[in-house]
Amino acid sequence: MSHAPLAPACAAVLRRDLTLAWRRRGDIVMPVLYALIVTTLFPFALGPEDALLQRIAGGAVLVTMLLAMLLALDAMFRSDIEDGSLEQLMLSPQPLALMMGMKILAHWITTALPLIVIAPLLAGMLHLPTAVMPVLIYALLLATPLLSLLGAVLVALTAGTRRSGMLLALMLLPLCVPVVIFAAGAVAAAQQGLPWLAPIAWLGAALAMALVLAPLACAAALRIALDA
Amino acid sequence: MANWIPLWVHKLSSPPNFYRFAGTLRPWALALALLLGAVALYGGLVLAPADYQQGDAYRIIFIHVPCAWMGLFIYAVMAVASFISLVWRIKLAEVVAMESAPIGAAFTFITLVTGSLWGKPMWGTWWTWDARLTSELVLLFLYLGVIGLYHSFEDRRQGARAAAFLAIIGIINVPIVHFSVNWWNTLHQGSTVRILGPSKMSREMLWPLLTMMAATKCYYIASLFGRVRTDLLSLESGKDWVRQIAEAQGGASAASAGRAGAAERESQR
Repeated sequence: MSHAPLAPACAAVLRRDLTLAWRRRGDIVMPVLYALIVTTLFPFALGPEDALLQRIAGGAVLVTMLLAMLLALDAMFRSDIEDGSLEQLMLSPQPLALMMGMKILAHWITTALPLIVIAPLLAGMLHLPTAVMPVLIYALLLATPLLSLLGAVLVALTAGTRRSGMLLALMLLPLCVPVVIFAAGAVAAAQQGLPWLAPIAWLGAALAMALVLAPLACAAALRIALDA
Repeated sequence: MANWIPLWVHKLSSPPNFYRFAGTLRPWALALALLLGAVALYGGLVLAPADYQQGDAYRIIFIHVPCAWMGLFIYAVMAVASFISLVWRIKLAEVVAMESAPIGAAFTFITLVTGSLWGKPMWGTWWTWDARLTSELVLLFLYLGVIGLYHSFEDRRQGARAAAFLAIIGIINVPIVHFSVNWWNTLHQGSTVRILGPSKMSREMLWPLLTMMAATKCYYIASLFGRVRTDLLSLESGKDWVRQIAEAQGGASAASAGRAGAAERESQR
């Protein structure tokens, strides 16, 4: 018996997830709308002074992104568990970690990428200086995959439980504290005219490590959560 | 020659053996914890001199610092037990890991509370977003995440495996807490007690601190053994050794209750 080679299998998983997401475009728009609404709440809550908003802009955008991604994470494996396709994936001869990597990539493309696209708009609403905008985008490009990878491991752990929304927040937020610190640190440094490359490099290093370890951990977590 | 050590460990990891072992050791650990705790409190609150800078207010250190050490120590124990339970599927290791979590969370909570009580007179604030305080808070959240995940599964052993995995992932926070005072120079004072080399602390203050540390370790052992014994009984209910204990302790009525409980548990499966 010959198995499908790795590359076509990966491509198939990726294409399937992207097609599924595209068929339900409404779900892609949801995190974006959520981030937009949360951002508009800041000026109402803190008052519309430009100086104050400018100071919190970077951190507020980051936290908003994180919360939006957290909401989307919950649904990552749900439909696959419900229709049994996740079990099929686990039984397939291809390494599960690689398949999980593809699913995480698809999830990042459908949730984080739209958020990054509207990030300049959100930051602009909070009067972040245009010069700092590229640093914010770099930080988000490195931080959001990290959150997707970390989140995927934890979602996989809760895959066997029925109620996981709040629990996911409790589990994910402590682990993503360093991500938020470095990403916000880069933006804050750029805003003050200081060198901002070091925190970005830390994020890159963490991402490199997570890219290797997280899919493996995700596969292991899924096997733990689903063998009943 | 040294063969009896692995043999003994193997025997100990069987639930009925550990149940008996913990039962005999627990009262001693508890007594030792109370004794050492009393000595340490006397040494710390009465014998030790007042600090030249902080006066008498520093005396909360004799509670605060041992609890902080225990918060990290128990996390490490939990992670090691989790690793053992995931790799070798030893039931006892699962139980030890999961029953350590609430104790560790309690110690971490006490650390945060006593720290803020100490911070108010010293720094003039209950709470500041200082690196060590924040990472200690994150440690508490990690404990709560592990406890929450454990209880969200219907099957307890499956929940224990998932929570054990989370505990291992979370261990990256432990070195961050430990070294945070060295890495970031913020309000929290640096470490004064050293394992290697002389401590930066006077002898009269050091010995009650170390005694209290021993007391908290003993308390942890006593508390853990009590929890593990209870947990093993409920996890293994329906097995013969549990029935024997129930019959020996409570006579006929307890034994029949145990059988009924076991039957109920079986029917739920």
